[in-house]
Amino acid sequence: MTPMIDVVFQLIIFFIVTIKMEEEKKDIELAKAKDGPVIERMAPTTMVVEVDKNGWISIHGAQLSRSKFAKIMQGRTKRYGQFPVLIRADRRAEHKDVRAVMDICSGLNIWRINFAAIKQEVS
Amino acid sequence: MRKRKRRETDAAQLEMTPMIDVVFQLLIFFIVTLKQEDILSHLDVSRPSPDPDTPVEQDFKDLLTITVHRYGYMLKGKVRTVNQLERDLTRLAGFSKDLSVIIRCTGDSQHERLVKVLNICAKVGLKKLSVFSM
Repeated sequence: MTPMIDVVFQLIIFFIVTIKMEEEKKDIELAKAKDGPVIERMAPTTMVVEVDKNGWISIHGAQLSRSKFAKIMQGRTKRYGQFPVLIRADRRAEHKDVRAVMDICSGLNIWRINFAAIKQEVS
Repeated sequence: MRKRKRRETDAAQLEMTPMIDVVFQLLIFFIVTLKQEDILSHLDVSRPSPDPDTPVEQDFKDLLTITVHRYGYMLKGKVRTVNQLERDLTRLAGFSKDLSVIIRCTGDSQHERLVKVLNICAKVGLKKLSVFSM
């Protein structure tokens, strides 16, 4: 019995871990752009901002209100100056929500904005 | 005395079978969990000043305006499908790659539509892209 119990436990742990991973990934569905340029190495200062399909803004998985996001961006520009911004917006997100992010950026003199899209799906 | 001797021999001999079991389990675990990341493309745009006073449009000689609506696209005031848009832009990019493209998006248009336009622009080689909101 002992090895079987071992294996079963392993499987249980495996499924628990993988299910959580999938939930995290499903949040944002990027649009496809197969002809877009690929950047091998992002600048280390790049700020990645996510906009989900309901228009919520998040940074590093933390959901923020617009005012909070603006405050964070302000603090960052004050400390480090300008930095590139990459927007990972869900393909179903409405433009006005993406616009809110862009407006906050341009309010801080960040004019160049990148949009992330899927060039090639591996899975 | 005898007991002690036996334990020593046990310790000296490493049992391989459970170790192999565990190693295989780990191997399978990593193979299954290893999921390759999708390759991302970065579409670069510039965002013009939100200040309406600054006359942006005067700076450009060659200007092309694409409007992205919720249900379709417009190029220079004419309704276009994605394929038509691609054909027109290919033709226009053939004249000059320095063409400035202004993409105007309505607030209720999906982000996917904007990305599609940016994708076409990247494909035909237009680099000067600006996104306006309306």
